[in-house]
Amino acid sequence: MASTASPFPFPHRSPVRISFFAGFAVLTVFGLVPAALVLVASFTDLRGLPGIPVNFIGIDNYRSFFSAAHLDDNLNALKNTLVFAGVSTVVQLALALGISVLLNRPLRGRAFYRSVVFMPTVLGVTVIGLVWSLMFNPSGGPAAKVLSWFGTDSAFFGDPKLALALVTFVQIWAVVGVSVIIFLAGLQSIPEELYEAASIDGASGWKRFRLVTLPLLAPSITANVLLGVVNAMQSYQLTYVLTGPSNKATQVLSLMVYVQGFGGTSGTTLSQSQGYAAAISMVQFVLVGAIVVVTMRYLRKREARL
Amino acid sequence: MSTLTSTSTAAAPAATPSGRHAGGRTRPPRRRGRIWLYLCVAAVLVLFLFPLLFLANTALKSNAEFASNPVGLVHSPHWSNFSQAWSKGNFGSYVLNSILYTAAGAGIGTFIALVMGFPVARGYVRGGKVWRAVFALVLFLPNALITQFQLLLRLHLYDNRLGYILMVGVGVGVGPLLFSGFVSSLPRELDEAAAMDGVGYWRYLFTFVLPLARPALVTCFILQAVWIWNEIILATVLLADPTKFPVTVGLYAFKGTYGNQWGLLAAATLIVAAPLVIGYLFIQRYLVNGVLGAVKG
Repeated sequence: MASTASPFPFPHRSPVRISFFAGFAVLTVFGLVPAALVLVASFTDLRGLPGIPVNFIGIDNYRSFFSAAHLDDNLNALKNTLVFAGVSTVVQLALALGISVLLNRPLRGRAFYRSVVFMPTVLGVTVIGLVWSLMFNPSGGPAAKVLSWFGTDSAFFGDPKLALALVTFVQIWAVVGVSVIIFLAGLQSIPEELYEAASIDGASGWKRFRLVTLPLLAPSITANVLLGVVNAMQSYQLTYVLTGPSNKATQVLSLMVYVQGFGGTSGTTLSQSQGYAAAISMVQFVLVGAIVVVTMRYLRKREARL
Repeated sequence: MSTLTSTSTAAAPAATPSGRHAGGRTRPPRRRGRIWLYLCVAAVLVLFLFPLLFLANTALKSNAEFASNPVGLVHSPHWSNFSQAWSKGNFGSYVLNSILYTAAGAGIGTFIALVMGFPVARGYVRGGKVWRAVFALVLFLPNALITQFQLLLRLHLYDNRLGYILMVGVGVGVGPLLFSGFVSSLPRELDEAAAMDGVGYWRYLFTFVLPLARPALVTCFILQAVWIWNEIILATVLLADPTKFPVTVGLYAFKGTYGNQWGLLAAATLIVAAPLVIGYLFIQRYLVNGVLGAVKG
């Protein structure tokens, strides 16, 4: 591209190189090197205390991950991760599609509505976690009040059967605004004439949506699915704030890295096997990579068909 | 699809008047449709605003009032919750820490985006394709909590403000990708003209490119700043001394101590949330640009 045939206008190349590699050095040392070393650490018996010799132990950490002693916990976390990521991506997509079609109509105060939906993006997990802990407060919160009208109650985040669903709900609430923004940009790029043409051809509202909106939104759908899956597979901060680090009902793989590596409770740090935690990181990384490749293949094919 | 378009363009001019006429006649169902639309909008607004309004309502309740009336509207506003939460939670120093981490971290990240993104976009360094791949790669790194902790431990930067700043600073996300995309909209002739006038590369980068690219750089900065301001796990892992905690960890610790006093806890949450909500009014435009730019890139 442009990079091949570009005369360099400035007298010296060295300033370019100096600042470029200064930036790259910082990025490498603190960003890329730790990321790459996760793989190395996963083959060692690294611990959380400095000064203890570190030994290579081959694939023992991975063997341990799939061993009988850990398999139950790990399968549980794996299942939670997949359910959380799958459900939140699908619901988020559907909800975002509905909201963006709604907010694409010429309504009064439309810009304000869009801002409101996008706002959780800045609130952050701690605030969002506390807001929803308050909403789902079992003793007298609004949700409990509604349930009491029907004569029932619930422990909400304390109920192991319900906790994961509620965390998923809060996650969707927190990130749906991003999908809405992406869909709105996609909707605005659809020429108005297509809709006029479709109505003249006698297409009903639903048919216009299915035959005009959906096919032309395909690139935005791809972007949203990928973003949603990658984000949901790796997100654990909200789980951490809402239900604590070692709640079996909501345990996900990335939170297990934290629990295994740092104990979750203070004082346990020293005995934790960080090599094992690194192995969990790698298992998760490979899983995310595989899912991204498969979804991308599928969505590309779909896009091409439409 | 294609058949739909072609038939329509031919039929459109003839059919439009009658179509408009029909639209006028079917006004009653239309109006009913609009009511439905606004009902849907109202439902969306409730879903997104009610939790925050309820938080504000709770923040004004004393312990006694919360106990007797947890859900209803506040009767006697207990404003002292805010001052109490502020001093008990030590939020003054947490907020200062967060401002330092956010400004310094996002500053480092934006600087990296500038000094790396510009020459790559212009082809002033060799291997443009490789560098572009690196910019995309930083978005898909594995969860590196363990090695980040170990690295800082070995560099004697554990429980150190600088160590944490560097770790969040390199969380550049889409920054370099976004910025190098923007650079292509700056005319290349400008580089040549400046060089001809004897302006050196660094002076050019910081006194010409930087102001011209301000919208893009501000977008990079804000995207990363929002992430850093809300970051909690790295801070928990990399910092041990409570005087160095950012506001997120401070609020989480406050919840641990005052978890059963919802009035106080809601006030503390609101103290942390208010700057975000107010700041949001000003930075929203950049966030939207950032999200859309990232999707295109």
